[in-house]
Amino acid sequence: MIIKENASLRLLALILCLTLTGLWRSTEATPAAEDAPPWLRQAAGMSAPAQSKYVPAIALLREQSIRVEEDGRVTTVERGAVKVLTNEGRGEASARMHYLTDTGKVRNFQAWIIRPSGEVKKFGKDEVLDLAVPNDVYNEVRIKAVFAGREADNGTIFGYEWTVEDRSVFTQFDWEFQDQLPTLLSRFTLALPQGWRAEGVTFNRSAVEPAINGSSYMWELRDLPFIEEEPSAPAVTNIAPRLAVSYFSATGKPGPAATFDSWSAVSRWLTSLSDSQATLDDALASKARQLTANAKTEMERIHAIGRFAQSINYVSIQTGVGRGGGYRPHAATEVFAKAYGDCKDKANLMRAMLRAVGITSYLVCIYSGDPAYVREEWPSPQQFNHCIIAIKVSDETEAATIVKHPSIGRLLIFDPTDDMTPVGDLPDHEQGSFALIIAGDQGALMRMPVTPAEMNRLDREAEATLSADGSIVVKLRENSSGQSAVEERRAFRGLAKPDYIKVVERWITRGVTGASITKVEPVDKMDEGRFALDVEFTASRYGQLMQGRLLVFKPALVSRHESIFLTERVRRHDVVLEPYSYSEQVKVKLPDGFAVDETPDPVKVESGFGAYSTVYEVKDGQLHFRRNLIVRGGRIPANQYAVVRGFFEKMRAAEQSPVVLMKK
Amino acid sequence: MNLRLRAASYSAVFAFALLFAFPSSVAGQDWKPVDPSHLAMKAPTVEPDADAEAILWEVIVNSEDIDVVLSHYIRIKIFTPRGKENEGTVEIPYLGSIRIKDIAARTIKPDGSIIEMKKDAVFDKTLVKAGGLKIKAKSFALPSVEPGVIVEYRWKEFRRVSFYMRFQLQRDIPVQVVKYYIKPYPSFQYGMRLACFNGVTVPLQKEKNGFVSATVNNVTAFREEPRMPPEDQVRRWMLIFYAEDRNIDPKRFWNEHGKRVYDTFKPLMKVNDEIRRASAEAIGEASAPEQKLERLFNYCRAKIKNVSDDASGVSQEEREKMKKNNNPSDTLKRGMGTWADINLLFASLAQAAGFDPHLAMLGDRSDTFFDPNFPDDYFLQTFNVAIRVGEGWRFFDPGTPYVQFGMLRWQEEGNHALISDPKEPTFVMTPLSPPEKSMEKCTAKLRLSEDGTLEGDVRIEYTGHLAVQHKEINDEDSPQQREQTLLDAIKRRMATAEISDIRIENVTDPVKPFVYQFHIRVPDYAQKTGKRLFLQPAFFQKGEGPLFPTSERKHSIYFHYPWKEEDEVLIELPKGFTLDNADAPGPFNVNQVGAYNVKLHSINDGQALRLQRSFFFGGGGSILFPSQSYASLKKVFDTLHERDSHTITLRQTASNQ
Repeated sequence: MIIKENASLRLLALILCLTLTGLWRSTEATPAAEDAPPWLRQAAGMSAPAQSKYVPAIALLREQSIRVEEDGRVTTVERGAVKVLTNEGRGEASARMHYLTDTGKVRNFQAWIIRPSGEVKKFGKDEVLDLAVPNDVYNEVRIKAVFAGREADNGTIFGYEWTVEDRSVFTQFDWEFQDQLPTLLSRFTLALPQGWRAEGVTFNRSAVEPAINGSSYMWELRDLPFIEEEPSAPAVTNIAPRLAVSYFSATGKPGPAATFDSWSAVSRWLTSLSDSQATLDDALASKARQLTANAKTEMERIHAIGRFAQSINYVSIQTGVGRGGGYRPHAATEVFAKAYGDCKDKANLMRAMLRAVGITSYLVCIYSGDPAYVREEWPSPQQFNHCIIAIKVSDETEAATIVKHPSIGRLLIFDPTDDMTPVGDLPDHEQGSFALIIAGDQGALMRMPVTPAEMNRLDREAEATLSADGSIVVKLRENSSGQSAVEERRAFRGLAKPDYIKVVERWITRGVTGASITKVEPVDKMDEGRFALDVEFTASRYGQLMQGRLLVFKPALVSRHESIFLTERVRRHDVVLEPYSYSEQVKVKLPDGFAVDETPDPVKVESGFGAYSTVYEVKDGQLHFRRNLIVRGGRIPANQYAVVRGFFEKMRAAEQSPVVLMKK
Repeated sequence: MNLRLRAASYSAVFAFALLFAFPSSVAGQDWKPVDPSHLAMKAPTVEPDADAEAILWEVIVNSEDIDVVLSHYIRIKIFTPRGKENEGTVEIPYLGSIRIKDIAARTIKPDGSIIEMKKDAVFDKTLVKAGGLKIKAKSFALPSVEPGVIVEYRWKEFRRVSFYMRFQLQRDIPVQVVKYYIKPYPSFQYGMRLACFNGVTVPLQKEKNGFVSATVNNVTAFREEPRMPPEDQVRRWMLIFYAEDRNIDPKRFWNEHGKRVYDTFKPLMKVNDEIRRASAEAIGEASAPEQKLERLFNYCRAKIKNVSDDASGVSQEEREKMKKNNNPSDTLKRGMGTWADINLLFASLAQAAGFDPHLAMLGDRSDTFFDPNFPDDYFLQTFNVAIRVGEGWRFFDPGTPYVQFGMLRWQEEGNHALISDPKEPTFVMTPLSPPEKSMEKCTAKLRLSEDGTLEGDVRIEYTGHLAVQHKEINDEDSPQQREQTLLDAIKRRMATAEISDIRIENVTDPVKPFVYQFHIRVPDYAQKTGKRLFLQPAFFQKGEGPLFPTSERKHSIYFHYPWKEEDEVLIELPKGFTLDNADAPGPFNVNQVGAYNVKLHSINDGQALRLQRSFFFGGGGSILFPSQSYASLKKVFDTLHERDSHTITLRQTASNQ
């Protein structure tokens, strides 16, 4: 699957290194005697409304024009103009485009800056970077880019224009009217051969109607406001207006590329690319049978094969992209032989192996990273960036990640690429998303399951002994499940053991100064979807002894792992919460000669999206402290922000509250 | 931000390439035989818990004509899924005229069966292409990688021979055997020399066909740690270089080098009538040498725009139009220059005023710790101006923005400086500014409400190196971003804090302290129970974690410079509450290295509380500590944290209950 991504840090580091050393600027800048093109002059002359001081730059123009020829050739011209308002806006003085080395041809890529003095500088060919897509072993997609930030003083206008020719495998385009920046004019134009027609769908706002002139269509929006970043907010792609366009050749004539008028059509097309790749030979079939030899149930067979698919190294090699290669997995037998592949390779390998043991399954296209990205109203393969699997299961198999397909029946959804999430669970960034079951005519766009908060759970138990001098000895055990376990597992598996221990030490010492950790024992029960962590530590001065008579300590010994920082008073966007739950039980054996003088008041907060409570109890010389949290998840409207903020503030305050012991 | 980047940046690119370009084999050689014990290995031998371990890492450096051929060979045993992920794909970046050839790779399963990587599995890609420059890479994925297998690969790298080549001896996984075979370049007039850093010196063994070899066994993985010395100061590596005399006495070398530097720079400090006039104008009525030099220093700062400083206000347009200054007079006339131009102008003005300025060459403590016993100027990359005043040498660096008169960049303080001289160049240690020179001075006037909210006005002032650090972080940012930086820093400690009326002063001022002033409101600052409020009076340390949270330490502990903190916090207490206890945490001393003092007073008849706190560290120039002293050092900072976290109790009076 082709993933639209930005340059990785590693590559950026290289570029930065080159930039700083001046290596890539092989020629001295030659200002003067340059002029900006008329369209850029015109954009520069647009009057922009006053912006908040936090707006780093303003997009004066954002425009893409596409011309489609009858033979399927597509010429895309993109123009943009940005005015830098603050030093932080300098980074906006940049342009980049993706192109395919196999089928695409970049006809031009130009950029200019108009300095506050009016002087124009044109960026020559020497200053255009041509970059590989990072992290892939190989990818035919490349990036051309100009980074003019270092030359863009405040007030500078940066403009760019690029033209690329290609032969798309699709008859669809999408256009984001803006990114985060305020945008004065945003326009998407599509010129089709005579008699052809186009249809557009608008996301995140009311429909934008095109201006139609013959076979040319133009969608335009003006004066789009700045989209401010806020914690736990929806992604910009779910706030900024977006356009999706499909075009169709003249009635009765075959088009140059695949057209999709329904999700079934998308399914049929993807099925035609992938079905033949689920190859099976003796070696692969035998491996599947060997893996499942001891499995007693359908679920155990799926587990065994799922585990194997996840263990295959993730390696991305993208070729033939311009001919649909981005959607075609490598043959399962080939992937098995090399023991590596990308997401679609892994899902396809698993599909072939399941077939070998008599289980039917289907590839599933999904968007990884934002469950609200894919929209039902635009049937298009271009909405996806990831591939997972749906396994047809009988009634005997139970799991929270089963959906019911109208004709195929019960489907267990699983992601063989995410090797932290076992069968029976689904990565949180895929839960609730629309995804396409690739099943020929039966293919359908379906809402992926959302696991309940109770399944994504962290339970913590701590037993502590507090001494009269304030020192403490603690045994702590955490048990997590679902996506909470995935977080724990990711931290554990992502680090070398010594580094993991340091992470645990940092976590403990953040709440207990000078803690000496005597035991860190993680147990990863991946197949059960659980993770356990035992930690033991001591601290010499956890409780503070005051005037020799008061001993004060916080029963919430260690912090929760997750933090939601909703501290701003004003909120513009909705609040997005993931479902999870948490419980903690702390037993503190109190020192002889001390009695509890005060405990914090119990807290009970309830709202539609969650509940939190704390309880303190003294029994048999022990303090029992319990806290429980459940966040049901969902998207809370911005006008209810005060409630959400208040909820988390009360929770945070409760966790800081101390218990006071008095010497008898 | 002052970009003081020179040749080091170039070498950074090469070092990057070399780091990846390491495993190897003899030219044309086949795979080496596999030891059955390696196939059967179940656990790493060099470091327990390693995800993968290199059994062999070999590089053959064969210098011929104008090319040097590096034949790399690496064999790695995989133990865990993480090892599989990390070692399963390989990318070998290279640039310029370097060529990569003859890549071969294979996977050996525990049963000895071998899966060769196919030739077409190697991809040739251009990572970055711009202006005729390309950074390319060969990339490939090894087949059938899983825990238990051995992966091995080899390639040849052809590059132009270089006078200096850095070779790494440590990887991010442990290595059983690192072996370099080196054939010295035959046509150089100078002999090949080897210097090892951060480990035992590796003896060179004579080998066949004119090769020598260097072998290191059981090299642990390299891991970064916070507050460690610069990486090149702790990571094991060696430098192969060609120098005039392999047995040269360092003293003699530096003597000659210091003379050469003097001869090179003397013409660049030339005095003419304009310089004399400017010098006299700058000095004015000043008579004491110290005073004269300070005026010249400030004159250079005030009159010359520093184009090495991105925040100097010089626009890109002006930078592009700027011509090169050939002498101090050019710098003076144009009113613009690089950091080097400004330092040379200062030297020239000082000379015109009757001083005898010398260029002082220095190393950079952020790169490596310079050792004068190493007779080569490879690590002596920067300079400032040295002038003898009275009995001692004084050092000046007006070309670096924000560095106060009398101080140097922290990277150059406490460092060996080679003072160039036509007769007797000499090494002198530059002074390390004492803690009082780099102060964080905080004051707060606050009011505590009965619900635990703390609110009031705050001022934080930074001087010395702390001021330089804050100015460099902020000077290129917009006022809004500077406020955001402050807000982020406060919220990291106190998540509920709200700040307003922010004033950030002297961000780009070369001399004055960097100052924050703001109003703050922190709901739930103090914790409330039924009848008490619990308050941490050390407001400026609230929410800070301990400096050293982990128990294990591998590398030395390194503080860039000594510093001092002084806080004064006045808290008006809520009506209806009285101090239940106001005992202060005890002071402590760390010999002469550091000291902590806190005074806590109840004032205004118990209506308010005053905290006076001071802490300094790095006294006596103690800023580098061996790893063996980590436990003691951790204890010091844990104690500091614990005392700063000290809480006092306010009790509700009976009438308020």
